[in-house]
Amino acid sequence: MDGQLLEPTLYTVKGMAILDNDGNRILAKYYDKNVFPTSKEQKTFEKNLFNKTHRANAEIIMLDGLTCVYRSNVDLFFYVMGSSHENELILMSVLNCLYDSVSQILRKNVEKRAVLDSLDIVMLAMDEICDGGIILDADPSSVVQRVALRTDDIPLGEQTVAQVLQSAKEQLKWSLLK
Amino acid sequence: MNAFKREKKEEEDGGGNPFENLEKTTVLQEARTFNDTPVNPRKCAHILTKILYLLNQGEQLGTMEATEAFFAMTKLFQSRDVVLRRLVYLGIKELSSLAEDVIIVTSSLTKDMTGKEDLYRAAAIRALCTITDGGMLVAIERYMKQAIVDRSPAVSSAALVSSLHLTNVSGDVARRWANEAQEALNSNNVMVQYHALGVLYQARKTDKHAVIKLVAKLMRTSPKSPYAACMLIRMACKLLDEVDEREELLSFIEVCLRHKSEMVVYEAAHALVNLGRNGREITPAISVLQLFCGSQKLVLRFAAVRTLNKVAMTHPASVTTCNLDLENLITDSNRSIATLAITTLLKTGAESSVDR
Repeated sequence: MDGQLLEPTLYTVKGMAILDNDGNRILAKYYDKNVFPTSKEQKTFEKNLFNKTHRANAEIIMLDGLTCVYRSNVDLFFYVMGSSHENELILMSVLNCLYDSVSQILRKNVEKRAVLDSLDIVMLAMDEICDGGIILDADPSSVVQRVALRTDDIPLGEQTVAQVLQSAKEQLKWSLLK
Repeated sequence: MNAFKREKKEEEDGGGNPFENLEKTTVLQEARTFNDTPVNPRKCAHILTKILYLLNQGEQLGTMEATEAFFAMTKLFQSRDVVLRRLVYLGIKELSSLAEDVIIVTSSLTKDMTGKEDLYRAAAIRALCTITDGGMLVAIERYMKQAIVDRSPAVSSAALVSSLHLTNVSGDVARRWANEAQEALNSNNVMVQYHALGVLYQARKTDKHAVIKLVAKLMRTSPKSPYAACMLIRMACKLLDEVDEREELLSFIEVCLRHKSEMVVYEAAHALVNLGRNGREITPAISVLQLFCGSQKLVLRFAAVRTLNKVAMTHPASVTTCNLDLENLITDSNRSIATLAITTLLKTGAESSVDR
């Protein structure tokens, strides 16, 4: 039974990934240099993981010596990976934080198109949840607070007329510049 | 034909992926826009996102390319746009291992780290520590110590986590900043408390007596943060084989079986059964796991049955009490749970259960 007791360390998360419904990577981070050091190995693992998980909505799977917890919505798959000896509930809390943060950022519109439109903010959110394998924050509302949202992301109803005009002007300018 | 197919697919996706088919060289050329004054935050943020996306996709940058992009990026410090600034921090972290002379941004980051904006400070600390080497460490030490005890949880956590990463640069960082970490341990914020405990353990792990003192003190107050509690359980387990106060440590872990957070309860149960104790001593842990087997939450069921499966190898008799619950799990919708339940039953089951 030896070796199953975990070394007390804050390095808990081995990786996080968001894949689309073809199993292609939208965003992924691996925190342990010993786990899939090259991007080729990472992508093979992701394909493998996707094939095993995209049909069954089973929330948790053990694959290649890692415990992977996952969640999906419309055309997105969210994964959090940890060592196979890791406390599954801790990993789940990270996954829930990732999903709920993204959901709040996208105003509950959790789908590929929306993620790509706000890719910068989603990147920042992932960075706020896990820093180099250490869980930095597991509370979605505090994560969302930490990734400053742009002012023009405020829903239309809550903006002043001047703000609406300003953003309309900017958008027009941009479409002309393209 | 293929192109047609792709277009069709893009239509279905509602416009396709704007980041698909990005060319590394094109994007790096676009990065020259960073040199324009005044900085156009939206445009630059978009280009920077593209670079970060390419890196995330596993695109390789040569040292020259990375350095050039890095230096272009430093120009963006002129802008006060929050999102852009935060993306620059991300860029610094991503490129720090690829580009040369990255310490050029030290002063900009130190300025942001000591500035007023909390949103900048936490992220700037983390970026700064990724480019810090042994020589620079002394220069930022004073700021780091201040940041650890900062009233903003984000800043404090960022500094604590970064000091753990810095252990690679200088082994005794954690020890030098232990006093500040000790103060952060009293924080009301669950994450700060957790991170502080991590740093303190790192600082003292080679000194058995110091760890014993730390654990003993925390056991009395019992940390509020469930993450810190899990960490404390692991520390207690590690001590068990080395000290005389075994009973105290064991009873602490047992008390954790009644913690209000399931995460901690499971951690404690998992620890108890893995300590290789005799059958009688693990009974309370087994009953907790038995309870989890009937949980609505899939992950909880999985965790419980996986642990029971392991215990069954050494203490099949203790697990027999769970046989009925395990039989219910054979038809579980999650195949891993079902498989684990069956293999566990194979070790514990008696003839009487075969018919059912």
